[in-house]
Amino acid sequence: METYLQFMLLGLGSGVIFAGLALGLVLTYRASGVVNFAHGAIAMYSTYIFSSLVDDGQYPIPPLPNLLSMIEAVLGWFGIQVDLPDIPPFVQLGDPWSWPMALIGALATAGLLGFLFHYLVFRPLRYQPPLSKVVASVGLMLMLQAAIVVRFSNRPRNVAGLLPQDGVDVLGTTVPADRFYLLAAILVATALLYLVFQRTKFGIKTRAAAENEQFATLLGISADRIAAVNWILAGILAGLVGILAAPITGLNPLNMTLFIIPALGAALVARFQSFWIAVWVGLAIGAGQSLLQIMEIRLPWIPDINLSQGLPLVVIAVAMMARGQVLPSRGAIERGRLPMALPTRIRPRLMTFWILFAAAILIWAPFVWRQATINTLIGAVLALSLIVVTGFSGHISLAQLSLAGIAAFMLSSLATDAGWPFPLAPIFAALVATGFGIVIGVPALRVRGASLAIITLAAGVAIEVFLFKSDGWFAGDSTRHVADPSLFGIEFGPNSPFFFGDGKVPSPAFGLFVLFMFTLAFVAVIRLRQSMLGEQMLALRANERAAAAAGVNVTSIKLAAFGIASFLAGIGGTLTAYKFGTFNMASFGVLGSLSVFAFSYLGGIATVSGSLYAGSLFPESIGTLAFEKLFFPLGRYEAYLAGLFLIVTTLVQPEGIDVFDRRERRRIGWGFVLLWRKATGNPDRTKPDWVERIYPEPKHKKGMRPSPPATVDAATTHEDGGS
Amino acid sequence: MSERVLTIEEMAAGYDNVAVVRDVTMHVDRGEVVALLGPNGAGKTTTLGAISGIVRLFGGSINILGQDVPKLRSAYLVGQWGVVHVPEKRGLFFQLTVEENLKLAPRLESGNTDEAYELFPALKALRNRMAGTLSGGEQQMLALGRGLLAQPDLLMVDEMSLGLAPVIYEELMPLVRKVADETNAAVLLVEQHTDLALAQADRAYVLSHGDLVLQGKASDLLRDRHLIDEAYLGAEALDQDPAVAGSPAADEAEAPGE
Repeated sequence: METYLQFMLLGLGSGVIFAGLALGLVLTYRASGVVNFAHGAIAMYSTYIFSSLVDDGQYPIPPLPNLLSMIEAVLGWFGIQVDLPDIPPFVQLGDPWSWPMALIGALATAGLLGFLFHYLVFRPLRYQPPLSKVVASVGLMLMLQAAIVVRFSNRPRNVAGLLPQDGVDVLGTTVPADRFYLLAAILVATALLYLVFQRTKFGIKTRAAAENEQFATLLGISADRIAAVNWILAGILAGLVGILAAPITGLNPLNMTLFIIPALGAALVARFQSFWIAVWVGLAIGAGQSLLQIMEIRLPWIPDINLSQGLPLVVIAVAMMARGQVLPSRGAIERGRLPMALPTRIRPRLMTFWILFAAAILIWAPFVWRQATINTLIGAVLALSLIVVTGFSGHISLAQLSLAGIAAFMLSSLATDAGWPFPLAPIFAALVATGFGIVIGVPALRVRGASLAIITLAAGVAIEVFLFKSDGWFAGDSTRHVADPSLFGIEFGPNSPFFFGDGKVPSPAFGLFVLFMFTLAFVAVIRLRQSMLGEQMLALRANERAAAAAGVNVTSIKLAAFGIASFLAGIGGTLTAYKFGTFNMASFGVLGSLSVFAFSYLGGIATVSGSLYAGSLFPESIGTLAFEKLFFPLGRYEAYLAGLFLIVTTLVQPEGIDVFDRRERRRIGWGFVLLWRKATGNPDRTKPDWVERIYPEPKHKKGMRPSPPATVDAATTHEDGGS
Repeated sequence: MSERVLTIEEMAAGYDNVAVVRDVTMHVDRGEVVALLGPNGAGKTTTLGAISGIVRLFGGSINILGQDVPKLRSAYLVGQWGVVHVPEKRGLFFQLTVEENLKLAPRLESGNTDEAYELFPALKALRNRMAGTLSGGEQQMLALGRGLLAQPDLLMVDEMSLGLAPVIYEELMPLVRKVADETNAAVLLVEQHTDLALAQADRAYVLSHGDLVLQGKASDLLRDRHLIDEAYLGAEALDQDPAVAGSPAADEAEAPGE
């Protein structure tokens, strides 16, 4: 019995991190209505700063785009070798710092991060729908995490402990004293926050602004300034929690970033409102995980399957199913709209041209380009899956790559172990992924927006720890082999012989197979967009209640969206597995899912052709290969840049590259048309109708508008996301 | 001669790129109650929004106590110049208590909310209730009470009668008159309830479809009710009546207080 108690008390260490992060999550949500997925990353980042200052007296400079290296590369094209200065990775600030100074330095950084998040990202996004905010905070999470990997690598780092660790005897067991100091600290912090929010004028103003920003403005309260102060507070809190608890949990770029998941669970139970509930639940999750760990070891009847890792998912799922739409909405005006889902059609000649072009590259181009094309196409299939679920039906799913992983695993079991023939094995594997996807989609029946992002993220983690990890249900220690696909005696795997070419892996035969599969998926998604089902998904995305009122069966459409998306993800997973010839869980991790989401959003989440842009952003794809050939190798910067571009995209071009490209192309094209008409003396022909549609009227400048009396009310100018 | 608190000249304002009101010129003096009337969608609320800086100004000027409004931050406008805007939905925070709502009054440095309770004794018993649980009349009292705690130089009340029983707004409306008389504030009252507003007001402006179509002394307008009806229905021949419409002479006739 003592052992169990001891483990529960030990678990308070991680519990304090969850509780502290949950506290910060509640704070930022109440201050600005943002669910900050990057909150754990702030803690991680500041802890690295602290550790670097204490150990080496160095302050890491975040990786910045260095235009000079771009110039170096461009000059390199002309054979000119120059060596322009690089931005140094660290600033040396004297000898290793004493810990109080380092703590101040790190917390200042954390506060600054909080402020910058608010000022540069979430303030500009304040009128945008929740999707944009989730995307931006996922981008921040990726970016901070990648920044630390670039600077400090992936290795775990030892952090100097600030709290005494000598044992304390409690109820017959011995527990390190730091657990109790941490517990006391977090409870004091909670009490302070609670008092500030209940008693001080600042607290009342924060609550007022959360309820209705416009009314607050009328009273001279700047919701913006209040949010900024709270963001700074939350940042500092995250930094403090990370630094104090790092000796207990260990520090690497990933673990503290992902502590956000149990913290999100705790914050959800607290409905992102109550500080106390968030903290108690956070502590309970920590203690419960620790308890489950020892029970798995001690009690033979408990299966040894990392149950403790699943606890956050259970908490999140129960909280959501029990409370439905748990996030209270914020009284802010929502003017932004979702990315435009442009109508689409199949253009046979254009498609034939590109297919032949891709086939030509696959057959004749050098090996690196062949490989890049294959990666691009597989990436595009994965992006198509997100286009269906997020772009069309408006549900954020952060678990798509995990679903792809399930299909990849099933493929290795079915095709290699059980010897199923080719078309059956991958189809069945994708169907299994579909099943899992529909299960993940069930919470979507009750929750939307940020809440759904949270639960899918937790599901992705659960799939990783339960199924893929070395002692999980699926993977096992050995690498799982995946046999090359073949049909009627013709092999088309990466190692298959091809009548032409250099004979390197992957073979052109596999490339053509991937091209075929991609084309099928692409046409299928275009058909979906044109179909009634696609229209209903868009209706759902625009306004769920209105869609339901108009006779759309919300439940079945949602599940259909998740099902179709998961099937596509499954196809993407089987293609990945074929490509490697093995099932390797490292290719299907949670961060991978986030990156896939990022790339898909960047490429254009709501248009089918956006998938090709998305595919070109994947690692080792055509786009990245071209960039590396032209400028400099991306290497570890890839994830960092992806995060950065994701944030920039949400801010300046929320529609993604595809819509931007189409619009600009048409604008340029329209310019040529006008020139030509001028030249031929016929300038006054009316514009074709798509000009109005694609290229709306420019914003009206200062001065009065000579129009008939307008009776438009503010409320009716809100546009929905449909097209 | 009393001080001119609000001066609007040739103002155009609206949302996104649609001007909702055009070419509005009006003014409000200290101790004066001015009613802004008009049918649905005339632009009354937009006008108030432009004055308190939450609606975009396209052209013209708004001047409060010698300060150009578009140049001021709204926090400054409220805190420094005592512009209080009680919006259509009363601007209360339903999840805060009555007391907390009152404490948010701008320019209330002391945090002493007793004055509001003196004016509206009914609120005293409710001070720890959530504002969302109050009745419509009580909410309007709270909104007015909070506005008065700020000791406004300019008080703007949007649709006070909205959603209230006649017996309640008939009781509340005279309070606005009282405020203007006692605190010497300038009061701008937006109402759909024409007679009620005119009974309390010194002067009135009538907006229709974003244009100022009629202005004059409240007593004149009450006497010639048909002018307002025609303005509501969009009759355009009103400019010819020198007694009330448009002409600067009628406009300048000063009559604060009765």
